[in-house]
Amino acid sequence: MENSEEIKAAKEIIQAFLRARKILRLYPLNNPIFIRTLEDCFGRFQNYFHYSDDLSLKIRQNEIYCNSDLIYYNTEKEDNIALFFFKDGLREISFKKDLSIDEMVEFLKIMSMDFDRELIDDDVVTMLWEKDFQNIQYIVDESYLEEDEDYEARAITEAKEHTSEQDDLLRAYEDAFNKEEIKEISIFPLTDNDLLQLSTEFEKDLRDKSGKLADILFEMLFMPDSMVDYTEVSRFLTSTVEYAIKNGDLQTVTDVLTEVKRISNDKNIAEEIKIRMKKIVSFAGSDPMISMVGELIDSGQNIDERIFGDFVGLLDRNAIEPFMKILGEIQSIHARKIVIDALIVLGPRDIVTLARGLNDTRWFVVRNVIYIFRKIGDKRALDYLLKTIKHGDIRVRKEVIRSLGEFGGDTVLKTLRECLYGPEAQVRSAALKALGNIASEAAKRIIIDEILDKTFKDKNFDEKKEYFEVLSHWKDEDVFNLLVRILKKRMCWGRTKKYENKACAAHGLGLIGNKEALRVLNKYVTARNKLLRGFASAAAKRIEHGR
Amino acid sequence: MAGREEYNFHKSAQDLINQFSVVIRTAHIHDTNNIAVTLAVDKLVKIINTQIRQENNINLTLKGEFFYSNDYRIRYSLEFLSNFDFLIGEFKKRELGSVIFNREVGPEDVKAFIQAFIVSASSETPYDSIREGVSGVGGISVDRLKKIVEEDFLDMRKMIKKTYFNAVSYSRGIINKIKSGEKVNIKKAKRIIESMVDHILEEEQILLGMTAIKNYDDYTYYHSVNVSILSIALGQRLGLSRKLLTELGMAALFHDIGKMEIPSEVLNKPTNFTDDDWAIIKKHPVWGVKALLKLKKLDDITIRAAVVAFEHHQHVDYSGYPRVRKRLELDLFSRIVCFADQYDAMTSARVYSRIPMSPDKALSIMMERYGTQLDPLLFKFFINMIGVFPIGTLVMLDSKELGLVYESNQLFLSRPRILIITDSKGKKVDSHVVDLAAKNADGEYLYSIIKTMDPGKYKINLAEYLL
Repeated sequence: MENSEEIKAAKEIIQAFLRARKILRLYPLNNPIFIRTLEDCFGRFQNYFHYSDDLSLKIRQNEIYCNSDLIYYNTEKEDNIALFFFKDGLREISFKKDLSIDEMVEFLKIMSMDFDRELIDDDVVTMLWEKDFQNIQYIVDESYLEEDEDYEARAITEAKEHTSEQDDLLRAYEDAFNKEEIKEISIFPLTDNDLLQLSTEFEKDLRDKSGKLADILFEMLFMPDSMVDYTEVSRFLTSTVEYAIKNGDLQTVTDVLTEVKRISNDKNIAEEIKIRMKKIVSFAGSDPMISMVGELIDSGQNIDERIFGDFVGLLDRNAIEPFMKILGEIQSIHARKIVIDALIVLGPRDIVTLARGLNDTRWFVVRNVIYIFRKIGDKRALDYLLKTIKHGDIRVRKEVIRSLGEFGGDTVLKTLRECLYGPEAQVRSAALKALGNIASEAAKRIIIDEILDKTFKDKNFDEKKEYFEVLSHWKDEDVFNLLVRILKKRMCWGRTKKYENKACAAHGLGLIGNKEALRVLNKYVTARNKLLRGFASAAAKRIEHGR
Repeated sequence: MAGREEYNFHKSAQDLINQFSVVIRTAHIHDTNNIAVTLAVDKLVKIINTQIRQENNINLTLKGEFFYSNDYRIRYSLEFLSNFDFLIGEFKKRELGSVIFNREVGPEDVKAFIQAFIVSASSETPYDSIREGVSGVGGISVDRLKKIVEEDFLDMRKMIKKTYFNAVSYSRGIINKIKSGEKVNIKKAKRIIESMVDHILEEEQILLGMTAIKNYDDYTYYHSVNVSILSIALGQRLGLSRKLLTELGMAALFHDIGKMEIPSEVLNKPTNFTDDDWAIIKKHPVWGVKALLKLKKLDDITIRAAVVAFEHHQHVDYSGYPRVRKRLELDLFSRIVCFADQYDAMTSARVYSRIPMSPDKALSIMMERYGTQLDPLLFKFFINMIGVFPIGTLVMLDSKELGLVYESNQLFLSRPRILIITDSKGKKVDSHVVDLAAKNADGEYLYSIIKTMDPGKYKINLAEYLL
């Protein structure tokens, strides 16, 4: 009775394996279904271990047996777990009672691999071997490893062909008496210092070896007689770069590219070598490589920004497009910042390619590209930027206006002035600030003209205030006199609007900080209008306290 | 584990064995409540608990002649030799295989165990006696010594032999496949190396013994496999992990792959090489890198193998080849493979040197290269691994019998196991093994080596005895 229960429990484990195999291929590690599946599978093991201390599964091509009972049968080639194990030589797998959930999960992960499709250099047995499970043991049929069935027998027969002759043995025996006796046996005791030295060796050995390989390949490039052709070595170097990027080892990539640049700039090195070296730089900046770099920086791994900066600095302009591509794909803000910084370095090498990013359908990419242009500060970018001023997304338009403000120059003034009449307050505000940032006489004139325009009174108070704030950046006599004039001006507008302008002028004078304004301001600190009184008092205090 | 962590692990494991031994020795003389025992026990408790805090548990296991702590073989320096030897003897006497500490223990727990351990010596069933004695002790349990019975041992020999010849056959196959442009199955190479790593970890001496037989025709293929085995064995002495041992074994297996480019009329030349021949031969490290990098997509193993292929003749003083513009510190694996390569090459019969050099002669030449061509630190490990009397050495015992060194004794390098091949009159006999570490009732050794000779000189076929 118990035996049938045991077999039933073993069958349930196999079923749980099959389910887990599917689930593990479909869901990420933290998915609740994934977690539940693992728990269920572990529960099945716990259940089985009520009956026996270990579960031993005998593997045949299409069957799995527990003891001598068939618990799995499948003749299909696909999804046949018996065949999955059998083909690599596994003949028995045992799970001990102390099996931990971690061990089981690792085992299931191996089971879920598609060895035919995935680029795995190992088979199931190697994967199990490397895990070195404490509570999962297996028996393997080594005949899988035989290249030539009869080789062993043949080799042994040949090796034993000549047997030692009695005469020879006797000669050895007699000669022995004439030999000197062994007196002292030299041994080499290991000291603690030796062991310490060894541990240092191990620490050194942990370093990635791709850098070493690259050094060797560069040596091969300059071997006196042409043992290796340059194309071949440059191909190997390219593979090394790919391997290093894949492993997140940007230091090695940077070292390789640095050496490549050195070679490229060395007048004494043959042109045919230089041509091949350039291809390596080009490869490092290619789409697949930069995509891997993108995955690396987006993975949350700690990236040494100095090394990354050096790496980017060594790339050619062909890297711009792939970097722009990943700009739209990466998820984290930190990674985006790194990519933007990379494009700020690379962008000046090909403004036209960078400008293509302005046509991206994603607003944030366009905004990032505008930001990159702003940081690059290349006047050639202006034409492209001016084209995006009418972008559908306000966040983009704001970024363009900000950039135009930083570029400055007469060509942008017209556009910025137009923006002052735009329907969105945020755009108008950005344009105003941009004009302030340009800080030219022409920019000042635009703002003054706007303030003096008869429609200015219709703007809301905050916007008016912002005009005066921006204007006060100039701090010159022209502006000072204008503000005093506005403050003192008697106007015939409606009461509230009249005082708003005066209050803003008082505020502007406060920001300019000229003490000469105190005389005028003090006249208004007791003004009847609360708004004017408040701003005049604040401005006066600001000037008095020299803030 | 790696680096400092590994060093600390081995150091504390050594301390455990040492102190365990001290406690047992003291408890043999004094009652367990005696102050001397108590002090020794306190120290032992401290060592155990420190390790438990780091490792959660300690499983101290005796396998063959070695102690393992949580499945890692404990390395020991020779100054602790007597304590290791003593404890191994005490365990064996009691058929005790493992002592397991599952949680932190107190002095009373350890004393109870020690009491059970001492008392068991006079029991007819000592292991059962200890097990019963510790049954009430919390946190400590024991396991019986797993003996390798003769039949298992023979099976093991058979299995190892199979692995060895599979490796040679694979090595031959892969070279032919590369030459003919066929696809090469690296998975298989890895499986073979993993098997060898397992055998080295379990029964190092049998596999090392296989490398001592040098009279095969296909030198190149046997050499690759022998270098791989010797490298793994040396790497194991150094304490490399199983994964690294596999990488080392693979790198060593392919270290001479560049030689397939050397024209056979040069490679198989029966006379000394000319300068022109040498110029060609010296290209094989570079050709090796090329061949390996073309073999498959880059991965850790290919890279390490390519580095080893390039560096294995460079020597630590850079006196070798290929010459380089920028001297780079030789990779640890390259330095290991260099030992294995030199030793196996010198002790093998080659086309231009039919009679192989005796192992002790090879070692003495290597000794001259200590610190110049060969790494001085690794040299110590290598010489201790090969043994004072390397496997295959022809010896005369004080009984006047002739024999061949069959297996080294890792605790007592001068006391290997010997396969007797003649009687005390020099007459050929059916071979049988004697253990030079065996003593008579008076504590004197039954046999000792008095002379060593070169078996090659007397046409003694090692294959006849060691295979």
